[in-house]
Amino acid sequence: MKRATIKSVETRYYEERDALMRGLKNLDRRSFLKLSAAAAAAALAQGVAFNFHSFQPVRVARAASGATADFTFAYISDSHLYKRDLNDRFVRQLLRAVDDINHLTPQPDFVLYGGDLAQLGQPLELELGAQILKNLKAPVRMMVGEHDWFLDMGEKWRGLFGESTYSFDHKGVHFVVLHSVMEDDFWTERGMTPTQRMQTVAGLDNGIQSRFKVGAEQRSWLENDLRPYSNDAPIIVFSHSPLYKYYRPWNFWTDDAEDVQAILARFSRVAVVHGHTHQLLTNRIGNIHFHGMLSTAWPWPYAPEGLPALTVQMNRADPFDPNDALGDGSVRVNPDGLVDKLYNLWNRNPVQVASAYLTSAGKTATPPTPNLKSY
Amino acid sequence: MKMRTMKSLVFATLAVLLAAYREGGAEEASDETPKGAKAPSATEQDRIDDAAMAQWKGRVEGRDWMAEELAKHKVLTPAPNDGLIGKGQGATYGSITREDVKVWQHETYKEAVEGSRIFHSADRLKSTIAVSCDMCHPDGSNTHPETYPKFQVQLGRVALLRDAINWCIENPVRGRKLEPDSAEMRALESYIYAQRKGAALEYGKR
Amino acid sequence: MQYRRMGNPTAFLILTVVLPLLGACDAVFQGGSDGPRGAHGALDMGAQTVLLDGLLPEYDVTQPPPGVDPHIWRQVVIPADNPMKPERVALGKKLYFDTRLSKDGTVACATCHDVTRGFTDQRPVSEGVGDALGKRNAPTTMNAFLMQSLFLDGRAPSLEAQAKLPILNPIEMAHPHEQAALAAIAEDPTYKQMFSFAYGRLPNYADLGRAIAAFERTLVFLDAPFDRFLAGDTEAISEEAARGWVLFNGKGRCMSCHQFNPSNPIGTDHRFHNIGVAARKQNFEALASQALEALGQQGGGVQAVDRLALQTDLSELGRFLVTKDRADIGAFKTMQLRNIALTGPYMHDGSMKTLWDVMDHYNKGGEPNPFLDGGIEPLALNEEEIDAMVELMFALTDARFDEQNQRLFREQRTLAGTERPFRDTAMAQREIYPFEERVMGRVR
Repeated sequence: MKRATIKSVETRYYEERDALMRGLKNLDRRSFLKLSAAAAAAALAQGVAFNFHSFQPVRVARAASGATADFTFAYISDSHLYKRDLNDRFVRQLLRAVDDINHLTPQPDFVLYGGDLAQLGQPLELELGAQILKNLKAPVRMMVGEHDWFLDMGEKWRGLFGESTYSFDHKGVHFVVLHSVMEDDFWTERGMTPTQRMQTVAGLDNGIQSRFKVGAEQRSWLENDLRPYSNDAPIIVFSHSPLYKYYRPWNFWTDDAEDVQAILARFSRVAVVHGHTHQLLTNRIGNIHFHGMLSTAWPWPYAPEGLPALTVQMNRADPFDPNDALGDGSVRVNPDGLVDKLYNLWNRNPVQVASAYLTSAGKTATPPTPNLKSY
Repeated sequence: MKMRTMKSLVFATLAVLLAAYREGGAEEASDETPKGAKAPSATEQDRIDDAAMAQWKGRVEGRDWMAEELAKHKVLTPAPNDGLIGKGQGATYGSITREDVKVWQHETYKEAVEGSRIFHSADRLKSTIAVSCDMCHPDGSNTHPETYPKFQVQLGRVALLRDAINWCIENPVRGRKLEPDSAEMRALESYIYAQRKGAALEYGKR
Repeated sequence: MQYRRMGNPTAFLILTVVLPLLGACDAVFQGGSDGPRGAHGALDMGAQTVLLDGLLPEYDVTQPPPGVDPHIWRQVVIPADNPMKPERVALGKKLYFDTRLSKDGTVACATCHDVTRGFTDQRPVSEGVGDALGKRNAPTTMNAFLMQSLFLDGRAPSLEAQAKLPILNPIEMAHPHEQAALAAIAEDPTYKQMFSFAYGRLPNYADLGRAIAAFERTLVFLDAPFDRFLAGDTEAISEEAARGWVLFNGKGRCMSCHQFNPSNPIGTDHRFHNIGVAARKQNFEALASQALEALGQQGGGVQAVDRLALQTDLSELGRFLVTKDRADIGAFKTMQLRNIALTGPYMHDGSMKTLWDVMDHYNKGGEPNPFLDGGIEPLALNEEEIDAMVELMFALTDARFDEQNQRLFREQRTLAGTERPFRDTAMAQREIYPFEERVMGRVR
């Protein structure tokens, strides 16, 4: 199972810089300042502006030089758990995914949970999911999906997992986790109970619900959060909805996608890793790379229209195998800050979608073409 | 069901009136109000009426069911037959009228919409694991009714659409298989065919 | 249909005198035997030949045999370079029972594919030259002509290809190379004449494979009570077995892989699935990387794969050794269910002694491992349902083996009554889940 890592001249250069930057951690203050000056000079040579007023120069310089560590994180997504004695299949499949990740060598740096842990947002469902995910050896980063949220508007989720919108840095990459399944209120005027609201959202093809959005409040949070980062900083966004517009009737859609993309547009290395679509999905808009995550619960067919041109479909699911077209996977963050996405499909060969495929707009590193396309 | 509803409606009204009577103090006596009972004010009456109406609506499901279902799920409409209005001749067909076309349209569409309701309901499929068809087949996608009949090795026979539906009900849905000629099966088939409107027949295609 | 031909006096003698003596010594799964059994537990080759004559009906071998769809026979079964002829079948038969095809003269095809032992050897794994034990259970040659690939990992694409390999395997028939195998028989004037008659050529290894294949295409055993039941005779199998058939198609989920239909009547999808049998013993990930290394060194030749498959622990990786496809790790071929009662012990390593063990294995959802086939899941069958399905299995035995079938049923039922090592009711009834113990630690 080989993964192609394309190392350009720039990449190797960045790797050397990265080694230099790592050394910074062990220095005393004087040597630190000396080096930081050198780094600043190097960054300047790249034509990146930054300020000297705090330790920011180091951080900005690091980001500017693109010196990131080469690391991997894994993901599990869209488990749609019912309570334990109602549906055993979904539970078993999440257990299988956890088992898969626990058997990875080396272990990933962390595991992203991609949203829709519960099916109907019930406390029992969320608790069951939390209990199972606790058994992951690597640390877990949670992301919320619509099935987790719309029963109690996130009360239980926040209690278990904390805020749904947050960001963190890891080895020189800035990660943002969004709550991208906000919906305009459709339930009050109809006098819906929380359960009815949840049932409505739980139906993928239910037209009563609103389209997903990130929302103005979160967009402004995002802008602020990203402000310190230079255009060269590698950014990875975790989002449940795709952050672009694929197929409106199934909410494979984010209503304010263009606005979010505009915020991200200035960065030269941005990847969005999203859930919700339960299929292999690849897209590129400007410099933004979009990758879908597999579900552990059930697969979805490709939508009748709107499929991004860059997506090389996975083989359609075999209904006679309950685990087909499902799985988990991982994302490798390369030293150049771009990502390679690995889909670990159960009972199939894994599929990798390399950053080179997206940067070359589909000309090189093409993923394997399916021999059983959806129709 | 209507009888029961009417009965409970009567009881409900009586109960309300009785309560009003017990509260005592008839002020605006009208010819219908029992002696000593207080007649409900205009707004109170509205509320009583609304409550009664809501109860009635809630119990007699059927009035708005089609609109309710269509608000949630899109169902493609049957082929338009308006071009036939005024056509036909002689004793057998007579002349096709607007009403005829409307009746055909409505009854056909009703069956498909009923199918949509069952398709989207784990309960009506008697699923023991709360799975409904639309979870894997949103809007009836990926069902390919135009490819039947076809030999399905896992069924050991040439399958028709209803056999595939029953297999799905038994396996991914873990519900109870339907009799091939039951109302539910017929409705499900109607919905699935409706959503694939326009696809060319290609029996045996895999 | 009359199968026994009492015309031959020798046959009559054997059938009425020798056989009853031997009857008590039909090999049981433990391989024990009293009486005149030859090397490696096989019945004497001559006796086997006679028995086989008694079992097979007379028919024109150039025509489709009774019970097989003629269209499938012509279009799918018969290869272009080996059409059926009586002289080819005769040559193949002689070769099948010929122990000279083994290095020390003790092993013929019929040693491990013994007419009296379900055309297999009824042992967990097969024993070859020098009493060497292999790693895999011998599949039956009954109805093998309907298989789309041969060997448990499907590495032989045809009967012709399959027949040529065990002869050269060091732990089976152990001839060092084709020439040695040929040398053992080529000087025999009978063979010279038979090869010439059959293929118009001097004895050669390719034709040897073809002849054995032609013979194997006459081993048609598709006449079970189950077939009469399918044809409409509701009394042909017991009510319990009929219930088993309903479960087979329904709750048991068997039909997904063990497919029965008129064009493919033997109960297999000819594919390879990891159902977790090997996972009981192995660490798959470690073995898989080992395998890739080994194959790279020895070159990916067919014989190298053959050798590895049978001799080393890598054998447990199954189909992966052939395709080197990650999805095939630990996957073995879905076996035919015809005559399954006669071909125990079960699974690729012969680890399951009774069909009840097999049902227990499936009922609990196999053995969890990273490559487990997604179609394997706990079935929540209760004991009555398991019994019904086992009853169905026994109804799949060809009527000609009725006596052995009934004896084996009694033996298996007795054994299953005392031990059911694979039973896991909590798992089967979905109280705890596969992968749960691996992930959460001990949950019981």
